[in-house]
Amino acid sequence: MIENSIIINSLSFSYGKNLTLDDINLEIKKGCIQGIIGSNGTGKSTLINILVGRLKPSKGSVHILGSSPEVKLLKNIGFMPQKNSIYENLNVYENIDFFARMQGLSNKNHRKITVKKIIDTVHLKNMSKEIVYKLSGGMKQRVSLAIALVHQPKILIFDEPTVGLDPELRRTFWNNFKNLSSKGTTIIITTHTMDDAIHCDKLAYMKSGKILINQPPEKFLDTNKNIYSLEDAFIKLSVGKSNEVS
Amino acid sequence: MKLVDRIIGITSIIIRQLLRDHRSVALIFLAPIVVMSLIGFSFQDQPIILNRTAPAIIATMCLVFVFMLTGVSFLRERLSGTLDRVLVTSTSKIELVFGYLIGFLIFALIQSTIILFFTIYVVGVDYTGKITDAFIILIVLTITSVSLGIFVSTFAKNEFQVIQFIPILISPQIFLSGIFIPVEQLPWYFRPISNIIPLTYANKSLRNIMAGYKIEDVISELGILILFAGILLILAILSVRRN
Repeated sequence: MIENSIIINSLSFSYGKNLTLDDINLEIKKGCIQGIIGSNGTGKSTLINILVGRLKPSKGSVHILGSSPEVKLLKNIGFMPQKNSIYENLNVYENIDFFARMQGLSNKNHRKITVKKIIDTVHLKNMSKEIVYKLSGGMKQRVSLAIALVHQPKILIFDEPTVGLDPELRRTFWNNFKNLSSKGTTIIITTHTMDDAIHCDKLAYMKSGKILINQPPEKFLDTNKNIYSLEDAFIKLSVGKSNEVS
Repeated sequence: MKLVDRIIGITSIIIRQLLRDHRSVALIFLAPIVVMSLIGFSFQDQPIILNRTAPAIIATMCLVFVFMLTGVSFLRERLSGTLDRVLVTSTSKIELVFGYLIGFLIFALIQSTIILFFTIYVVGVDYTGKITDAFIILIVLTITSVSLGIFVSTFAKNEFQVIQFIPILISPQIFLSGIFIPVEQLPWYFRPISNIIPLTYANKSLRNIMAGYKIEDVISELGILILFAGILLILAILSVRRN
């Protein structure tokens, strides 16, 4: 039996009177790469913030690995925010080592091995002593990815992780994601990029705070309706023709 | 064990980041010496005024510099997103604030040591008390100042706004805590305000310690200062929010 890593039931969230998430229902299976797409301001980041415990639902419930998002659960979650959010004055190794420590890897020797391994994984071996502010945008994103991965979480949550990456680096990121997913890590990715969306096992399309469709990316395509690519599907959905796609 | 390790981790990145900013480190240690030199050598021929003012200046500089350092550093953490990112790890708010506190405490104590020795041995202010007693006062004042800096950074959107809090929160303390005019000689309408500001108690106790009193002689002032530190520490922890 494949277990669900995340179960979201009738979730709503309001900023004051502004309803940002409206009756979201979503079940994400263990090892699944779940994409979330939608135009700006549709509530993708709000949903992510609820999953990582930064916001509390106004209504409904979220269960991650069987419990509500709270501090003790965060050791099972790796989060890569939209902004890199790393210490610019520290070097690559120090950044990753610090966040590993914050995730409870208190044994110095074990942490050293783990950090070096993750630096290898994101191909930053020769840059580990470089101060972050001297790195390129893509390299900073690799540091940010390494921070999300360092404690080997069961769930990874990425808020637009590949924005600004060149195609080669994007491929490296996706190879990492698919490798982790094959080992049972559940991955949630919000994205605007259809090149990313196509890699997901399932794709939820959000509009006005609702999930309108959640299905494998290939099901969004329909040559009979002139939907040849995910971009076509996204544009049709954005202008309000969801019935044409689903 | 993990709690202690996380606190040490936060403390070490605070120190490491500050040490990499060589200019700031130089200013942190040189600026108070410049101020103390100006005051010390201006009142060289008036030892009574100098002996009265110098302890208060030491306490004030500890308050101002630590407040600025903490306020700006914490705000940077908020703006760069690193604070949010730390808070989505299993680190608690208490660990975060204590990590900060210890990091800045180390800097403040080094700074205070330099000022204290400079004041005694270069400026020539009379000191007959125990140095360790003076440090107890300065440690409590630093906790007050770090907590105030963290708390205030919640209400600022940029570094400029943190600096704007100095005239609002720090200047009244400087004028009303008895540095220039003894609290008893202030106009009656200012005296109640003097009684509710931490620097009044820090100045009074540090002045007495430097004049040869023991720590038990200033226990009531120290107690009130500890109360301020405790309240502000709680406010600082509460002001750090995951959401």
